[in-house]
Amino acid sequence: MTVMQLTKTTTRRNTGIWLLPLLVGIPAFIAASLTISDLLRLLPTEFWWRAISNADFTDPRQLLYRHAFLPRLAISLLVGAALGLAGTLFQQILRNPLAEPTTIGTNAGASVALTLATLYAPWMLEHGREWVAIAGGTISTLIVFALASGRGFSPIRIIIGGLIVSLTFSSASAFLMAANREYSQELYIWQSGSLIQNGDATAFALTPWLLAGAAAAFLLVRPLQILDLADEGASSLGNNPTLTRMTGLVVAVILSAIATAAVGVISFVALAAPVLTRLAGARTLHQRMIWAPLLGASLLWLTDRVVQILPFLSEIPAGTATAFLGAPLLLLLLPKLRIAPHKNGDASSVFRRRNALPWLLAGLLVLGFFLCLTLAAGRDINGWYWATSDELGYLLPLRAPRVVVALSAGIMLAFAGVLIQRMTGNPMAAPEVLGISGGAALGVLLLFISMASFSRPAMFLAGLAGALVSLLLIAPMGYRKALAPERLLLSGVAVATMASAASAIVLASGDPRLGILLAWLSGSTYTATTDDAIIAGIITVILVGIAPLTARWLEILPLGIAAARGVGLGANRVRIILLVLIATSTAASTLIIGPLSFVGLMAPHMARVLGFQRALPQLAAAGLLGGIMLMLADWAGRMLIFPWQIPAGLLAALVGGPYFVVLMRTRR
Amino acid sequence: MLVAQIPVARAANMPRVACLEWASAELVVSLGIQPVAVADLKGYRDWVVAPRLSDDCLDLGSRGEPNLEVLLKLNPDMIVSAHGYGLEGGPFAKIAPLHTVALYDGTGGTPYGQAESETLRLAERLGRETQAHEVIESTAATISRTKKMLADQGGSPLAVVSMFDDRHVRVYGRSSLFQDVLDRLGLINAWTGETGSWGFSTMGIEELVAIGNARLISLDPIPPHVKIRIEQSTLWKSLPCVRAGNVTTIPPVWPFGGLAAAARFATLLAQT
Repeated sequence: MTVMQLTKTTTRRNTGIWLLPLLVGIPAFIAASLTISDLLRLLPTEFWWRAISNADFTDPRQLLYRHAFLPRLAISLLVGAALGLAGTLFQQILRNPLAEPTTIGTNAGASVALTLATLYAPWMLEHGREWVAIAGGTISTLIVFALASGRGFSPIRIIIGGLIVSLTFSSASAFLMAANREYSQELYIWQSGSLIQNGDATAFALTPWLLAGAAAAFLLVRPLQILDLADEGASSLGNNPTLTRMTGLVVAVILSAIATAAVGVISFVALAAPVLTRLAGARTLHQRMIWAPLLGASLLWLTDRVVQILPFLSEIPAGTATAFLGAPLLLLLLPKLRIAPHKNGDASSVFRRRNALPWLLAGLLVLGFFLCLTLAAGRDINGWYWATSDELGYLLPLRAPRVVVALSAGIMLAFAGVLIQRMTGNPMAAPEVLGISGGAALGVLLLFISMASFSRPAMFLAGLAGALVSLLLIAPMGYRKALAPERLLLSGVAVATMASAASAIVLASGDPRLGILLAWLSGSTYTATTDDAIIAGIITVILVGIAPLTARWLEILPLGIAAARGVGLGANRVRIILLVLIATSTAASTLIIGPLSFVGLMAPHMARVLGFQRALPQLAAAGLLGGIMLMLADWAGRMLIFPWQIPAGLLAALVGGPYFVVLMRTRR
Repeated sequence: MLVAQIPVARAANMPRVACLEWASAELVVSLGIQPVAVADLKGYRDWVVAPRLSDDCLDLGSRGEPNLEVLLKLNPDMIVSAHGYGLEGGPFAKIAPLHTVALYDGTGGTPYGQAESETLRLAERLGRETQAHEVIESTAATISRTKKMLADQGGSPLAVVSMFDDRHVRVYGRSSLFQDVLDRLGLINAWTGETGSWGFSTMGIEELVAIGNARLISLDPIPPHVKIRIEQSTLWKSLPCVRAGNVTTIPPVWPFGGLAAAARFATLLAQT
């Protein structure tokens, strides 16, 4: 609270120097007061020093002080500082005020690497998680950079690339954990980012890494500042920009990976600390390098003290709490951030156009073929078989609802994708990043946390409520700022992060209903009933009827606001109508297929790559492609590891992520 | 091939039962019926262990999503599920009569008492009342026998935990099956803190200070790398119960199981 008020006064007055100490000092002061009051209860003051220098461990108070309390305090400061520094480096090097280990995919990489190691090569973890985390974080960050390198690391491409890599990796993690549930308890706990310590080993292990990172970072200050001054001229000044950037990024990746290895994923500290210090007046990189780690440390310290006094049965892990606090903070900050305008690469000119109609008819035939396949072909305990008409009689009630909901969700997501991509003029946009899926997920997760039992209608209502709330959050912000596309997308990132924090709480609680939650989060059609299929089908049909009516707007909007005004289009009104359409179809499909799946991203793209440029043909082609994609994903998910099942949304994400990677690479 | 492997026991009008999770499988096996299929079969063998499932038992897939097509083809006489796993009954009830075992259903019954009544209720559905009474009596007998054995050892307080990572433990307390068994054994649970509706709480390892040098019973399976890292932990090494050498690891027992789990827990405690 204090922090937010501070940032407001900051930007208004734009003075400097005294604000930074205040920004760091106030959370630190509160944290210190809480720490001292806890400590007074734990141990009389005369032992405070003696229990460090010469502890008597037969006294449980001294034991707790020396091996739990102090290490935890140290870890909160060390990890906070490491994240603050990593975030500063990322933001500076990538020229991206929103870059941080979570948004650029480093954490997801570290996380999936640790998941793989825990389940399949636990011996790698016997002496610590650092190297596994560093390897994973490095690989995922490289992938994100490879994705974004095409356009000089444009901020939005980095963030979208990071989001895609994160989603792909976390869907892979989710599946691995769902398939090995009892073996994954360790991962659930670790993922949620708890700072609880079991001795001083982690704190001591982390210290040299942090010191080395800090030293390297400060050596980089000058080269980085030179880069900042004159990117083009830098090399002529005898500076190697690529080398400087790479070194800085390596340092930042290592810092975030070791923090992740030590305590799990701590969201948003790495984002908030540098951004807040900048807003509080730290103009130079040198200032930010000093103040951001300090602020990171003080914020995490405060968070970790606060979660310990909250009245919950199980303590909420600090990493989860930072996500809950940080995501709204990000939403508040978005209007204040200046995001360099980027060119909407008009992809349409690159591809040849097609005469749409015959191709779409052919597409319908293909759809029909796959419909037959997914309904009739299957496996049982004796092997593969093609269902006879008798068998179909009893198999159809099981298979048809799943096929229909997958098809409907695919069509709805594809439509939402076309609408949002055309509306924002951003070919990298997708309903998955709008935050509606995240909002729906959040609603269902909160239902899980607050209710002992739940039913399907309750789940539906909770999801719908979540979707609407996130829509209401987005809409006014967009209204004020003329619906700036970047802000819209990034608010989606914030909502998605909150949803994943909520899921981390449920997962870490060890609730035996986990299985069903994991299934839904990863996009399973397992629970689809005939009623679901009918409802999904009706919504899809309505959408298919309405969406083409917006075709004219969709042709004009990508040309820009001026063009829209020129032809008498009230841009805001039109955009809000489109937003509602997008939200409705995204919410409906999220309830079916979970918040994951890149169909909304992939289908519109593929449609355009195939040559369907104009709004109407693109809608039709994307709808066909999206429907076929999810239908096939659902079928393959039922077949591949029979009798176990891979959720359709997850399979689509696992295929779609790499597809998107290739797409981003080839479309320079 | 499958038919050929089915043991003789099943031939004699044995109902063909499929189980959607592990507690119901435990109950069914303890009534002398080998289920034709159980969800997450490998998991059952690792985490529940006993009573043993026959080798020809089929896997139904995950407990979150038991494979409906396999169930349909198996055409069992009954499908048994358990409360609280979030599965909707509808699709299963269409395939075969569905029985839901109501353990940990929040109705306030103690897990042990519920395990007894649920064993009886399931037995009535399966026509195995005799076996049910045998199970109830033999479990009670095992527990009272164990109580006598433990009485000689003095019955110092103990805490029961599962360890999944090196910083946290899941400790079992009020409204857990283990608590009921400890009560019946006349043993005191050294952990008296709050627990959730499933009778456990996940907490930092340092909170084990609260149990002093009481015995710490830790349930297998503990992942080997977790074990190594716990033993390296300076906090763990200095915990009163660890310094006193009072830590015992016992083989896996399913904490959310029924009478067989209760008897197994008591027996394993006596063997420590």
